[in-house]
Amino acid sequence: MDPSEAEFLAEKETITIIPNFSLDKVFLIGGDLGPFNPGLPVDVPVWFALNLKQRQKCRIVPPAWMDVEKLEEMRDLERREGAFTPVPSPFYMELSKLLLNYASDNIPKADEIRTLVKDIWDTRIAKLRLSADRFISQMEAHARLDNLTLMEINTIRSFLLDSLNCMYRLRSNLQPGSSKDRADY
Amino acid sequence: MDSQPYQPIRPGVGMEENFLSIDDILLSHERLPVRTECVFPRLGFLEKSSDSQDIAEGTKMELPLWLSKGLYERNRKVLSIELPKVYRDGWRTVFNADPNVVDLHKMGPYYYGLGSQMLHFENPENTEIGQTLLQTFIGRFRRTMDCSQNAYNEDTSVLLERLDSLEKALFSSGQSGLNGFQSWEKGRASQLTASTLVLNYRKRKITEVQS
Amino acid sequence: MSDATFEDECDVNQDDSQEDVMTPAELIAKLEEAWLNEKFSPELLENKAEVVECVMEQLTHMDANLQRVKKGDMKASIHRMEIDRIRFVLSSYLRSRLQKIEKFFPHVLEKEKCRQAGEPSLLSPEEFAFAKEYYSNTEAYLKAVALKRMPPNLQTVDMLKAVPEPCLDSFVFLRAKESQENILVEPETDDQREYVVDLEEGSQHLMRYRTVAPLVSTGAVQLI
Repeated sequence: MDPSEAEFLAEKETITIIPNFSLDKVFLIGGDLGPFNPGLPVDVPVWFALNLKQRQKCRIVPPAWMDVEKLEEMRDLERREGAFTPVPSPFYMELSKLLLNYASDNIPKADEIRTLVKDIWDTRIAKLRLSADRFISQMEAHARLDNLTLMEINTIRSFLLDSLNCMYRLRSNLQPGSSKDRADY
Repeated sequence: MDSQPYQPIRPGVGMEENFLSIDDILLSHERLPVRTECVFPRLGFLEKSSDSQDIAEGTKMELPLWLSKGLYERNRKVLSIELPKVYRDGWRTVFNADPNVVDLHKMGPYYYGLGSQMLHFENPENTEIGQTLLQTFIGRFRRTMDCSQNAYNEDTSVLLERLDSLEKALFSSGQSGLNGFQSWEKGRASQLTASTLVLNYRKRKITEVQS
Repeated sequence: MSDATFEDECDVNQDDSQEDVMTPAELIAKLEEAWLNEKFSPELLENKAEVVECVMEQLTHMDANLQRVKKGDMKASIHRMEIDRIRFVLSSYLRSRLQKIEKFFPHVLEKEKCRQAGEPSLLSPEEFAFAKEYYSNTEAYLKAVALKRMPPNLQTVDMLKAVPEPCLDSFVFLRAKESQENILVEPETDDQREYVVDLEEGSQHLMRYRTVAPLVSTGAVQLI
């Protein structure tokens, strides 16, 4: 999967905005939006929030977890724990990138947040590689990966799955008769 | 990642070969040391080292894998296949000690592919060969992963030069994951680029004009 | 513009006397599920013709309504953005199916040939036509570039053997949407033993596609 497709899915998450215009309820195929009144917070999908923001029609209220103190705590916990810790949002990476790129003026201490999210990401990716190596070397058949996010899986997906496939083939070599003899074309 | 205009057919890796895979076609041209177990009448012209009309029984020569596989029969001895050095006991000991020190490109470059193909021929050591192939792959996995997932925007030829062709393919799928993420993070994913198919098509047009 | 034009189509399907009534939002969710499952499963899944059809209907209807709206209307622009997003998922879904058909065409057609009368088809009629054409084009191509120059006894290629089958033993990442108990995990090596795992609702796993394939088609797990 392409990272931009993961981002596409992240854009469906809801976020609070404070509009500066008024508009009645909009009945979209995927659900209703609004009504919008100036100054009154309302929840909308991220794709719509960013569009409004780019047209300077709203202020975005950053999600509660997008906060220096909270993220520092998460980073420290992530570094301390051997396992993956729960993330504040299944799209924390995508949302940070989107909001910091398009609405950084609505996010206090945007630069610090950027660094913290990147630190958390790097720690988790290092763990991911460690567990991938363990999965391969122990030849395990099943792994539970509860707190892993789509974007994280994505960075290693094709590499890990291709490797597992190769390993499977090399292992079926050891069971004679399991693979059909196709020497004769 | 999805922008590839066509999907190349992957090598079969194990004992099976994929008929339309370029890698497997190249693999089938690897030469194997063989010894003839009967006379091959009137084929002497293939064997440049002697003038006789036939290839005599007991001649040692090299044949490509595809031909060896075609001529080999378990029940009727036509030829016997010698194990290439890398798969013999001596090298297996090296692989089992530390698979990471071996230059698999030099020893291969189809170490895993050819090794798996060797299992088609009867050999008392087949189980050990299979084991070593698997253990070598597992032993080298961490390194292949680290190379492919850490090397961003740098010359990868040094990292690649000791990898077997299978590992190289894995390396590049790891790289595509890494590069995809990195360019997304830098905001490059939102730029549209022309498909390589279109680019190549244009190139072809120019050469057509020139000729 | 009046919202009535948009309101009245939020209840398609309802008069459609289908056994399960779906809201448009549920319909879109179904499409996204199918999209991700198709993207990540190693084999071609059953086609979701009704979902595709209903989504297409929604899009055409909405498009027609938007034709009547004057330019610069804010609501219309929101609707257009949503339409574009849905259309993206729809095309990506259909495209990933076509890619798999190209990759496995002889096996896909073989499966279709062996299908029992009552069984639902993997392919939509359009996909079936595409697969057949792809097959004959490939055959014609191989013939033109090489086979016709071969000795007569070597002029055929068995496509079923020449094109690799989908590998159901591939690993997949998945999330359990409904709890599932006692999923048998087969051992990877001789010194391991088989064991069972429970897939709790919401939990995520990495395991072989073969083990969970039936759960993907019932919708109990989602590939991720």
